[in-house]
Amino acid sequence: MKSSNVLVIGGGIAGLTAAYELAKLDINVELVEKTPFLGGHAARFTCKATECCEKCGACMVEEKIQKVSQNKNIKIHTNATLNTISRNDRFYFNIHINGQNKETDVSVSKENDISISADAVIMATGFTPYYPAKKPYGYKVFDNVITNLELEEMLRNNNIAVKPSDKQAPDKIAFIQCVGSRDSKLNHLWCSKICCASALRMARLIKRRQPETSITIFYIDIQGFGNDFENFYEKAKKDIKLIRAIPADIYKVENERLKLEYFDHLLMQPIEEVYDMVVLSVAITPKNESKELADSLGIETYDTGFIKSCNKDDTATSNGVFVAGTAGGPLSISESAAQGAKTAWDVKKYLNKNQLEF
Amino acid sequence: MDPTEHIINLDEIDHGIFRSLPFCHGYCVTCGLCSSSCPASGLDDFDPRKLVRMAGLGLKDELVNSKWPWVCTMCGKCEHVCPMGIHIPDLVRNIRGLRERDKVPGILQKGIEAAIKTGNNLGVPKEDFIFIAEDVADEIAEEPGFEGFKVPIDKKGANLLTTIHNKLVNTHTEDLKHWWKIFHAAKEDWTITSDNWEGTSWGLFTGDDESVKIMAGRIVEHMNRLEIKNLMWPE
Repeated sequence: MKSSNVLVIGGGIAGLTAAYELAKLDINVELVEKTPFLGGHAARFTCKATECCEKCGACMVEEKIQKVSQNKNIKIHTNATLNTISRNDRFYFNIHINGQNKETDVSVSKENDISISADAVIMATGFTPYYPAKKPYGYKVFDNVITNLELEEMLRNNNIAVKPSDKQAPDKIAFIQCVGSRDSKLNHLWCSKICCASALRMARLIKRRQPETSITIFYIDIQGFGNDFENFYEKAKKDIKLIRAIPADIYKVENERLKLEYFDHLLMQPIEEVYDMVVLSVAITPKNESKELADSLGIETYDTGFIKSCNKDDTATSNGVFVAGTAGGPLSISESAAQGAKTAWDVKKYLNKNQLEF
Repeated sequence: MDPTEHIINLDEIDHGIFRSLPFCHGYCVTCGLCSSSCPASGLDDFDPRKLVRMAGLGLKDELVNSKWPWVCTMCGKCEHVCPMGIHIPDLVRNIRGLRERDKVPGILQKGIEAAIKTGNNLGVPKEDFIFIAEDVADEIAEEPGFEGFKVPIDKKGANLLTTIHNKLVNTHTEDLKHWWKIFHAAKEDWTITSDNWEGTSWGLFTGDDESVKIMAGRIVEHMNRLEIKNLMWPE
């Protein structure tokens, strides 16, 4: 049996998992990652364990990077851009390596342009976080307005939350949910799925490490997923203030503090409240370049811009192209990993079937 | 309190009246941005989010009889921030229009009726109006640089027609002067009309499309009759 070659595009958690699972099945993998580092967004996320593990999945990434880096069946190309793609039974690719990268290069070849052929392709190109500058919250105007992803990174690097303006711990933090999600004016009709749990977990983490902090979450409705969410939510409600309204205005007041205006539907009056830091839970949105890539690979995108995967359990319809992770829509870290593994099995089934036919 | 008394039986609701409106209120995700942005929310417990939800539930009588549609200032900030593009001011205006005309609050309906009958909200007779306009013009003519100033009334073939807010004829005649002096200084070929000069159209606020049509129609009539191409409608 001739050995197959699979191209995995994207070195985030979905691509890493797919690559590793394929490698375990003795399939050769070419893993192409645009940035200098493996791990994608999740590699910058913080562990959110409080009294116990909160199953956020952030720790899975490092473990996966290690396993992938050590596997002989996986060739890693970081800093790599996909140039040309053509198809003649197999897929032919040209990859351009942008400079040398010693940290993650395990078996990367020295040349700057590499031609590769593959029997199947997995698109694990991930998502783009919504850039909230156009929303009325002063992002990139006021120092102490950050996104949930920036808070993830801050908590990972510093362990505690600090105000960007003076690096001091904030007394009062507000989270604003659904920034750029469920928004027909942006053509983003979807719920980004992960932000409610992520905001609650980060809020609880901050409360545990900085118990004096007061935290408010402004939400539309809490979208909880997973079988133990209700339990977690009940715990979170005890030490986090949850307000069922989205503020519409932000003003900078003295000491780089931020005044939010919202309508409290229980008190039936407009409220102004001052916070030290405001965290915007931004939408998971499709990547622009993913559509182009999907087009050139001959697979469809949804109206949303996310990539359509082949029919469930019918790998023949895939035509050799598979989708894993948030390229197909909002997913959590563990869901992305699970989908990466499932996709590896789909690819294996597809390859087996094709080899019988040859 | 019996909690069941507040339960709405969804099967008994008639969504018909609101469902046909093109204001997209059915898309509401209840985010509350409208209420957070609203300068009038909280007045008489006004909550735009609840108003939109009530329309979604088809609670017609509750909305039509409520003060809320009349608390709204129609500023449109809610619509601007609404992520679902719901036309909330249009919805509010439509609800206002469903109220019986004799229950329209304040002087709005009286003003409309006077305007339809007499040509202006205050029922100022034509002779009085011409007298006031010429009097104001005489006062302007006394100021340096405006010697010989006259107000052109019903001037055929003028370049610009301007309407007048009734308040400016009644109590704020000083405010007429600013406009007219600017026209003079700019050497504008302008005119006003002796009949139906009213620029306000309160049907816009009360949801009365018929009266809005009549008021706008009169201006169009003036422009056709006097062969004027440009309109300044300072409302």
